[in-house]
Amino acid sequence: MADEQRSRNALARLWAYLRHPSPSYSILTIWAVGLVIGITFWGGFNWAVEASNQMEFCISCHEMENNVYREYQKTVHYRNRSGVQAVCADCHVPKEWGHKIVRKIRATNELWGKLTGTISTPEKFEAKRLELARHEWKRMKTTDSRECRNCHGYEGMSVEAQKQRARKQHEMAQKDKQTCIDCHKGIAHQKPKGMTEEDEG
Amino acid sequence: MHTRTAIAAAIAAAFAAGAAAAAPPDWSKVPAKKITVFYPGASPIEWIMKGTEHGGARGIRKGETCASCHDEEAADMGKKMVTGQKIEPNPPKGKAAAIPVSVQAAHDGANLYLRFSWKQPPAGAGAKMDADNPVKLAFMLEDNKVELANIGGCWSTCHEDSRTMPGVSDDKKTKYVKDASLAGGKFYDLVQWKSKGKPADGYVADKRVMEGGKALVSAEGKNDGGNWTVVFVRKLAGGEGDVTLTPGKTYNFGFAIHDDHAAGRYHHVSLGYTLGIDAKADITAAKQ
Repeated sequence: MADEQRSRNALARLWAYLRHPSPSYSILTIWAVGLVIGITFWGGFNWAVEASNQMEFCISCHEMENNVYREYQKTVHYRNRSGVQAVCADCHVPKEWGHKIVRKIRATNELWGKLTGTISTPEKFEAKRLELARHEWKRMKTTDSRECRNCHGYEGMSVEAQKQRARKQHEMAQKDKQTCIDCHKGIAHQKPKGMTEEDEG
Repeated sequence: MHTRTAIAAAIAAAFAAGAAAAAPPDWSKVPAKKITVFYPGASPIEWIMKGTEHGGARGIRKGETCASCHDEEAADMGKKMVTGQKIEPNPPKGKAAAIPVSVQAAHDGANLYLRFSWKQPPAGAGAKMDADNPVKLAFMLEDNKVELANIGGCWSTCHEDSRTMPGVSDDKKTKYVKDASLAGGKFYDLVQWKSKGKPADGYVADKRVMEGGKALVSAEGKNDGGNWTVVFVRKLAGGEGDVTLTPGKTYNFGFAIHDDHAAGRYHHVSLGYTLGIDAKADITAAKQ
């Protein structure tokens, strides 16, 4: 009986605290302050995520600036007749929030790489290029080239307007349910040396 | 008397028919197929089939021909390779990227007539590899037995370990076919016209042989103000190393021009096409 009474008292105290959390501030004030803090943190977090999606951020490390960025500058995703540019994050970071956060968390691995200098010289980068490319190819294959499809898709593609070779390849790819990355490796960066037929798969 | 006259008339008619049969066709009445030969760089069959280098390897494995992807862009491909942008470690100076050629074919039941005409491209500044012959034109025929011959024309004879390929020091190894068999029909019939030297009638089996063919009747070329015309007359049937051409059938066909004193792989080549004898093909030799 005494136990039951004690538990009832505790609940009553909790309820009272929730109703009057502070003797000095009203619930409305506390809620308003909380809202502002929440918005600030949430906005700040998203701002930081978006800031880390900027090309300037990516190439602020010499590992990116000296290697993959320079190769990318020679490709159609950097410069083309229509002026539409796909920057690093357009291909390498998902647009959808959940996938984006997962990708960002995984990308913290790269900080460790930076600290230990795994690709700090051109030689080290070349030695690791195939392994890194394979990670990205695998990611794109698993997601059916999701990031490519933010801009490209069979449903909007007029194969009849393409040149003979592209037309033929895209017709075959659609029939065989292939995904973009199956063929378009090395479209924005040099293809790594030492690729196997399995990589091409 | 009547019988004698009839026999004489019959003999005369037979001779007349024979004479007519041996005469080349009226080329103005034979349809021409435009085929662009292009500078192929160092693209042996091993490179063609390597998916990591050549995105079309996948299509080839599915039975797509080279021409089905590249026919319309042959000149662009030639430009990429002749300038060294792609698979050419030794770009020949000033060489034409591609040459559009008109190809005509006909037969008369005994001989095949093949006529090639093209405009001589400007001379390059490279070395004269074949000092004697400014121009050569060769064609190959194959009877649907060599692996990939129906897909890639002459490429089944073009290998990475052949002379003039990058890194190859052997200057004797020429074209060859894998698992070649003259008796089994696994070979390419090869005929070449040279602007100065004698024509060659040979074949490509386990090695390239430039003699011994029995089918070639003549190969004549002329340069009329910068416009070349080369006409081959070839018997439908020959001997060993000659593909026997039968009406109603199609054969794999490709040709190459060694322009500007070129030798070895520094030629302009066609993709693989089909030649039909009274049969629907890329080029049809109809009976005249």
